[in-house]
Amino acid sequence: MTPAVQLLAVGAAAPAWRLDAADVGAAWSRGGRGQAGVCAPDEDVLTLAAEAAGRALAASGLQTDIVDGLWWGTARPPFAEGPSHAVLARAIGLSQRSGGSLCSGSPHAGMEALLSAADAIGAGTARVAVVVVSDALVPGNGTPFEARAGAGAAAVVLVSHGGNAMLTERVTRTQPFLDRYRGDGEADTRDLYDPRLFREEIFLPTMRELGEQLVALAGPEDAIRAWSLPDPDGRLGATVAKHLDVTTNASAGVYSELGDTGAAAALLGGIGALDTAGTVAIVGTGGGRTTGVTIKVKDPVRGAAAIGGVLAGGRAASYAEVLRARGQLVPSGETVQMGVPPQSAQFVRGADEMLGLLGARCVDCGTINTPPSIHPHCISCGSAKFVLEPLARHGRVHTFVVNQTMPPPFVAPLPIAVVDLDDGARVMLQGIGDGSDISIGTEVELVLRRYAHERGVPVYGYKVRPMERP
Amino acid sequence: MSWNRVAVVGAGLIKFGELFEQSYEQMAAGAFAAAVDSVDEGFEPIQVEAAFVATQRGTLWGQEGIGGNTIPTAIGLAGIPCTRIENACPSGSDAFRVGAMAVASGVHDVVLVIGVEKMRDKSADEGLLSRAAAGHPIFTRGETAPVLFAPFATRHMHEFGTTREMLASVAVKNHHNGALDPYAHFQNEITIDDVLKSPPVCSPLHLLDCCPQTDGAAATLLVSAEIAERYTKKPVFVAGFGVATDHPYLHEKTSFTAMKATQLAAERAYAMAGIEPGLIDCAEVHDCFTITEILDIEDLGFVDKGKGGVASLEGDTSLTGRIPINTSGGLLAKGHPIGATGVAQIVECWWQLRGEADERQVETPNGYALQHNVGGRGSGVSVINILTNNAS
Repeated sequence: MTPAVQLLAVGAAAPAWRLDAADVGAAWSRGGRGQAGVCAPDEDVLTLAAEAAGRALAASGLQTDIVDGLWWGTARPPFAEGPSHAVLARAIGLSQRSGGSLCSGSPHAGMEALLSAADAIGAGTARVAVVVVSDALVPGNGTPFEARAGAGAAAVVLVSHGGNAMLTERVTRTQPFLDRYRGDGEADTRDLYDPRLFREEIFLPTMRELGEQLVALAGPEDAIRAWSLPDPDGRLGATVAKHLDVTTNASAGVYSELGDTGAAAALLGGIGALDTAGTVAIVGTGGGRTTGVTIKVKDPVRGAAAIGGVLAGGRAASYAEVLRARGQLVPSGETVQMGVPPQSAQFVRGADEMLGLLGARCVDCGTINTPPSIHPHCISCGSAKFVLEPLARHGRVHTFVVNQTMPPPFVAPLPIAVVDLDDGARVMLQGIGDGSDISIGTEVELVLRRYAHERGVPVYGYKVRPMERP
Repeated sequence: MSWNRVAVVGAGLIKFGELFEQSYEQMAAGAFAAAVDSVDEGFEPIQVEAAFVATQRGTLWGQEGIGGNTIPTAIGLAGIPCTRIENACPSGSDAFRVGAMAVASGVHDVVLVIGVEKMRDKSADEGLLSRAAAGHPIFTRGETAPVLFAPFATRHMHEFGTTREMLASVAVKNHHNGALDPYAHFQNEITIDDVLKSPPVCSPLHLLDCCPQTDGAAATLLVSAEIAERYTKKPVFVAGFGVATDHPYLHEKTSFTAMKATQLAAERAYAMAGIEPGLIDCAEVHDCFTITEILDIEDLGFVDKGKGGVASLEGDTSLTGRIPINTSGGLLAKGHPIGATGVAQIVECWWQLRGEADERQVETPNGYALQHNVGGRGSGVSVINILTNNAS
């Protein structure tokens, strides 16, 4: 028997924008129903992953430095080759000794990350594992699934003991067929097959067979209470649910809010259902592979009840805004380059303080100096004795501006705020949104965002976001 | 004091504006010629022993890293010592201070201080606005020049009830003065409503709250006071100066309603001159944005902290007010060719103290005029020079 793999906590993240399918349809002389969650220009798979993982870790109550590894599944790592995993691990506070892996190559990557982490727990090589699945699809312009191509992230903290739910069964089917496809060096994802060929010969038969097997494995005693099922086009999910006689399709609500979230879809569609005792089945597919797992919930999993609230909301964005954010609509001519290029030593010296958000607390007077690398001496008393510590991620706006005048690639309006953090540190960072919800005294949190995509390299740092009103 | 008294015997500038037709060198030659022509008893260029040039942004015209050696050749004095001073927006005022020290120390008897800046050889996007991408990749990203001052406006409005109308009144007054100054970039009057309705640049600052991007050059001739009478019967003397720094980044500031560098520089300048702020008859202060002038007049001790907005709106700083500020039109109307700005402010003070400011002339019963700049990520450095026409 496989050693128990337990779920301690879950978290999720949704992008800031919502795209109306009818807007996309209008551009291509066709209709469109529903909406998709899409990334603002400062969001991507990494910022979504960091936010979901942060929420799951917060719900777990664990210190981040005891996490043994990060297993990240995404079809579109921010660095096609590069430090995607290392940047995310540092941003969520994992230690330099942490392990794990980055699974990619198709939307099935999310299930691969989950099972790889589960295997590490099962083998005893990890006692605490963070699984993050995230995606932000960049569909080809005018493709049939463009209006449903969404973005989102889910995270699960797996442990060897102490969770309220456990992973029970798993089933995988592989067949070498093409579905969603992006060739080497291509920017956009496209869909190769005739929709009826995909539906009748590939998708429905696979789902039916795999679903029926999960039902059989769960048995009548642990009968599956709720399902997360793939829904690549906004219709197939319902068809599969009908075939399998599903009573609770937990993923349907997530799809209607965010669209198809790719590698994130399976877990994101299921973790909200972990707030009730019973068995939940989660099925993910892509790249010729389909995997289903069952999770037996004894008591509500930490963080599960909050999932629905996290996913709702978002600002309506126009098709043109979304194209620009995805890099599919670009300004003519040169844009202004960063004075400090990403290959600069500043990014090596500053990696910890920028991604880990560190401050240097003066041993003599207590003032927190940020960032540490530019402060060999304290700004208040001149002392050179410091202790490095993570900054508080919450504070209040002392003063702010909204910059309306910047050259491309900047997008106005851009709020910039001076914030007094709860630990007494003062920082100045960009704000999220158009600034209309920021004033002096506004309560804010610091969240990771993509500041720039510079010379092909994504550059990450923290931004100020007004706290959601309860 | 153990320093030798320094006299300004010549001062001049070229008409500020978008001088697309003039090169950096031509602007410098124009300003030097104007200063030479202003010397009452005549001046031979060959008498210049050393020059200090202020140019802050060589990057704007492809001359980064050149130092001071462009100037001697441009003004026909190749071979003389020439040092370039770059100290952010106070570059011109600091070059003047350094030039004054060169004379005060006794090392030189005749020194040229010249400020030259080519701002408009590049588009706004590639010029000053490209600051948005300069500096720290995260902590200053998006930080254009107004971002350095607008947070002070937000906070000043919050703490003292300063209004956008009060800010606007600074621009209205300085445009009025600029319309009387033939050297000013802008020669037109504006109304408070014009300012309020101008497009937002960086809230709460709108377009007419901001100084323009201007090409320009200005020059002064400094000599030892002992030999001043060879050049003029109306010398103006350096009474004192002060320089101070503050932490460079905005988040390191402890106050967003005062500029510590200005306060500290003022303290030092007044102490050196041996006077109180009340003896200043008129001042040219750094009004890169309307809020900056409001902060300046408070930090220089002309009005109480928090009262700068009200004082401006009520006309205390107009040509006929209690303490006339920026009689030349200031940076807002005359323009802000960075290296030239401080030197041009000295020129205006020189004219005021000699009674040569024409329609802009104010009363100078005490014989003191003050010149002030602040800059360096907004408020990281301030330089103040105080001039006097008092013989001793």
